Amino acid sequence: MLSTLILILVSGAALIGVLPGLSAARSRQLALVTAGIALLWTVVLASQFDPSMTELQLQESLPWIESLGLTYKLGVDGLSLPLLALNSLLGGIAIWSSDDSIHRPRLYYPLILLINTGVAGAFLAQNLLLFFLFYELELIPLYLLIAIWGGARRGYAATKFLVYTAVSDLSILAGFLGVVWLSGSSSFDYQPLLAQSLPSGQQFLLLGALLVGFGIKIPLVPFHTWLPDAHVEASTPVSALLAGVLLKLGTYGIVRFGLGMFPEAWSVLAPWLAIWAVISVLYGSFNAIAQTDMKKMVAYSSIGHMGYVLLAASAATPLSLLASVIQMVSHGLISATLFLLVGIIYEKSGTRDVTRLRGLLNPERGLPLVGTLMILGVMASAGVPGMVGFISEFLVFLGSFSVFPVQTLLCMVGTGLTAVYFLLLSNRVFFGRLSEQALNLPPVLWSDRAPAIVLAALIVMLGLQPRWIVRWSESTVSTLVPTQAAITQTSSIAIHSKFLNSSSNDRDPSEILNPSPSNIH
Amino acid sequence: MTQFLLEAIWWVPCYGLIGAISTLPWALGLFRRTGPRPAAYLNLLMTTLAFLHGGFIFAATSDQEPQQQLFHWLKAADLDLSFALDISSVGLGAMELVTGLSLLAQLFALGYMEKDWALARFFALMGFFEGAMSGIALSNSLFLSYAFLEMLTLSTYLLVGFWYAQPLVVTAARDAFLTKRVGDVLLLMGVVALGSLAGSFNFPDLYQWAGTNPLAPTTAALLGLALIAGPIGKCAQFPLHLWLDEAMEGPNPASILRNSMVVACGAYILIKLQPILSLSLVAQTALIVIGTVTAIGASLVAIAQIDIKRALSHSTSAYLGLVFIAVGTHWTDFALLLLLTHAVAKALLFMSIGSVISTTHNQNLTEMGGLGPRMPATSTAFVIGAAGLIGLLPLGSFWALQRGIDHFWFSHPWLVGVVLLVNGLTALNLTRVFRLVFWGEPQQKTRRAPEAPWPLALPMVSLTVATLLIPVLMQHLSLLPDWIYLNWRGMVLLVISSCVGCGIGATIYLHKAWSRPLQRYWRMLQDLLGYDFYVERLYQLTVVLGVNLLSRIGAWLDRYLVDGVVNLFGFASIFTGESLKYSTSGRTQSYVLTILVGISLLCVLMTWSVW
Repeated sequence: MLSTLILILVSGAALIGVLPGLSAARSRQLALVTAGIALLWTVVLASQFDPSMTELQLQESLPWIESLGLTYKLGVDGLSLPLLALNSLLGGIAIWSSDDSIHRPRLYYPLILLINTGVAGAFLAQNLLLFFLFYELELIPLYLLIAIWGGARRGYAATKFLVYTAVSDLSILAGFLGVVWLSGSSSFDYQPLLAQSLPSGQQFLLLGALLVGFGIKIPLVPFHTWLPDAHVEASTPVSALLAGVLLKLGTYGIVRFGLGMFPEAWSVLAPWLAIWAVISVLYGSFNAIAQTDMKKMVAYSSIGHMGYVLLAASAATPLSLLASVIQMVSHGLISATLFLLVGIIYEKSGTRDVTRLRGLLNPERGLPLVGTLMILGVMASAGVPGMVGFISEFLVFLGSFSVFPVQTLLCMVGTGLTAVYFLLLSNRVFFGRLSEQALNLPPVLWSDRAPAIVLAALIVMLGLQPRWIVRWSESTVSTLVPTQAAITQTSSIAIHSKFLNSSSNDRDPSEILNPSPSNIH
Repeated sequence: MTQFLLEAIWWVPCYGLIGAISTLPWALGLFRRTGPRPAAYLNLLMTTLAFLHGGFIFAATSDQEPQQQLFHWLKAADLDLSFALDISSVGLGAMELVTGLSLLAQLFALGYMEKDWALARFFALMGFFEGAMSGIALSNSLFLSYAFLEMLTLSTYLLVGFWYAQPLVVTAARDAFLTKRVGDVLLLMGVVALGSLAGSFNFPDLYQWAGTNPLAPTTAALLGLALIAGPIGKCAQFPLHLWLDEAMEGPNPASILRNSMVVACGAYILIKLQPILSLSLVAQTALIVIGTVTAIGASLVAIAQIDIKRALSHSTSAYLGLVFIAVGTHWTDFALLLLLTHAVAKALLFMSIGSVISTTHNQNLTEMGGLGPRMPATSTAFVIGAAGLIGLLPLGSFWALQRGIDHFWFSHPWLVGVVLLVNGLTALNLTRVFRLVFWGEPQQKTRRAPEAPWPLALPMVSLTVATLLIPVLMQHLSLLPDWIYLNWRGMVLLVISSCVGCGIGATIYLHKAWSRPLQRYWRMLQDLLGYDFYVERLYQLTVVLGVNLLSRIGAWLDRYLVDGVVNLFGFASIFTGESLKYSTSGRTQSYVLTILVGISLLCVLMTWSVW
């Protein structure tokens, strides 16, 4: 079942590359068909998936290189399924929004499909080495996509991306090898409790390696500088894919491997991780305010919003972990929407500079529908209720507050700042009198708008009915909560003694010492 | 039938939202042939439905105990987010007021916005506005209220920014959103903290939790301050009050709702939160202080305004300040009553000046005059609205203010003074505006003004009648005090303060040349009040400067430090590579030399210990 998804994508990529005499339009159609089948197949997978089960489902296992401990082992659970769906959806949308006029189409479309393959494989892999291989697989196509189809400074951006991601890969590989070799195991299969047997010093070292590796991918400050450059230089579909799905590999890795394999070390580091999240959120937000390039603004906002995922992961309560998954999906949808819309504006007006664009809401000569969608997107990003950004952030904050009150409150400042920079953006670009730059814009076709409309509809739908994504992950995520519950326990005592005055003495003391989660919420 | 409608009470907020969505084809320009009017009619129909539906329930449940409806929305992990709806006479009454005023305002808009090409968009936003407000009235859950409040922030932004091509509108919309957002984010902090600590978002559970007095004083104070921050922004209280003044750049029909109901929605949530706020003395004191500062400050500022809408919008802040004081002193009945009477009277005043603006195409008070005989219905509406707002004739606010004075008489005597002062200053301001607009000699822009056309006049006259009938309604709901328990001294003081205010307003020198006094001190005073005590300058120097500075520092750090280090590594590797390449010259001598030097260095190192 799961391999079929990967096979569909790979064979689509191979067909476009191999079939002789394909025109640009044909390649695009073929890629679209492939992505469509992959999306459908994801739906089929979801229908086979039983959300109430906690263990891995639809597992597949084939021995590969046994002497290395590498097996081809796939499986899906509530943590990976929503991200898998996001990947299939955004892959299709990225192909849809690439136009026919693109040069070297028979390289371009296979590369996008290969990225999809790599990401899907990484989400599905249940063997550390296999995860690493898929994780690597996604890197090369993206490098080429930036380096060949990018903007003016594409060489610089692509190289930077390559170097950063290579470091990330090495660090992750070192972490994985360390876990397996130090624990004396012979197989690289993902076993959550593998690292438990290691002395704590080694655990910290290995977790640190994973944090740096995935931290580059997320990206966390100060490992982030590849992201704005990559986004600015990459073409619109690639940007949407990069922000929408690829960054999620980092947070997925942190939750799955960091928290999953090192729960004890994680719970010790958690307060620092939460502080790291705060720094990322505030740094990203403040930097976004200072930007004048719309793409850079959205890129820095990505840095800020991915910080919420780290906050939720570090709190590691059942609610916050669930929230981290929803935040990943919601950020994927919202940032992809924003990048697509910025792309349309750039394509039509020739600039992304907020100081040069003005009055694009103008109904006759501007881009009114694109503007409306953009306002919807930025409001979703700023966490206005009714859209998925609100509920995901709300759950992040609610889930994390009981563990890290101060860090959570500081992260909430970030939502205020999001409103500031995105409002500045929409105010400058869409309000006011139409600027000269934006006179005589070419018409926007419905096919240009369609992807953004689909995503916007999803944003609103999931915002009104978050149950539709929550239900997939709920039971899986509850098993990820550190069983020792070391963090929850210590800090809950802290929070209780900090906030509750002596009049609560009538409570059962054991309840205060061992608060059941239901007690907090 | 009743049961069915009662169970479907959650439709009421949805009507507005459905109306908003149904305008999309016209707003997007898909249906061009019909013009945008059908969208407006659809919205009016939806609002009428909401009004009738709510009215039916209101009548049917008026003699019943308050009920609560619970909808489970999201059950995730250990969290159960449910929406509680409050079916009580207060909540339903507030909802009726919202839908009723919205209906009138939309009717008014049909005439006022007649020539606007974006009529469909306007009505969509009004529907959204109304849906969010009736949701707040109905909600019995802090989470739901917060969500609606935030939607209100968004729709305010879009409504203020409706005429987005004008530069002032752009800044006004931005400031409205950001100012409210500051309050909302603080409120969100309070909501999250409260939800974490109390374990529920529904008000009955929260009250029960608050009853056990579970918080340490500092926490309670911080929580209380966070919770009142949202209403401070929403009700345009100091220091988050300037957005309302700027928001007057927006279309007038939206201003009608904004000055009457939107601000009241913030206060309504504050009233709902009152049992939690009473956990902390600091929060209550803050409420009283903020309320007092705003009430007096805004009343003074209103007097110096020459924009007709701004002159009235500042008095909205002032009255909401009184509501804050009432909540801070636990007199929520006074707060609710004042919200009701203020909303109706203020809506009428805004309709009246809306009709003035639409006839004269002018908002500058100093360019008006003599409209009274030319626009009888409009001037009657203004007079009735003004009378309904101050404590002179036994109309709505008279009884509300009287009740406030009655409450404060023994508990906080100095607050009686505040109420009287605000009432007097408002009377002064309204008399001044009346004289400038409707009295005196007509000027160029008012000379040929006709009475407002019927689409404006109909809702205006209806609301005039409604304002006159408010005391009857209060009598019906037994909100009027008994004759025996009347505080005569308070009433006399109230009437005196109004008379003094009106008297000063009627006699001060209002010549057109007055707009700039010659004496230096008067001029400074006028500037001080005219520029809102320079609070905007204060924003610029504190929050705006801080955020700007931090973002610049961040950008600098990012560019030169973080990215600089990365580029330095890149540069260093390229530089070393570039310089080392000269070593591969192809000349044997240099290679031999390199090998010799290398080997001798190696020998020296290896034999280091021997030496």
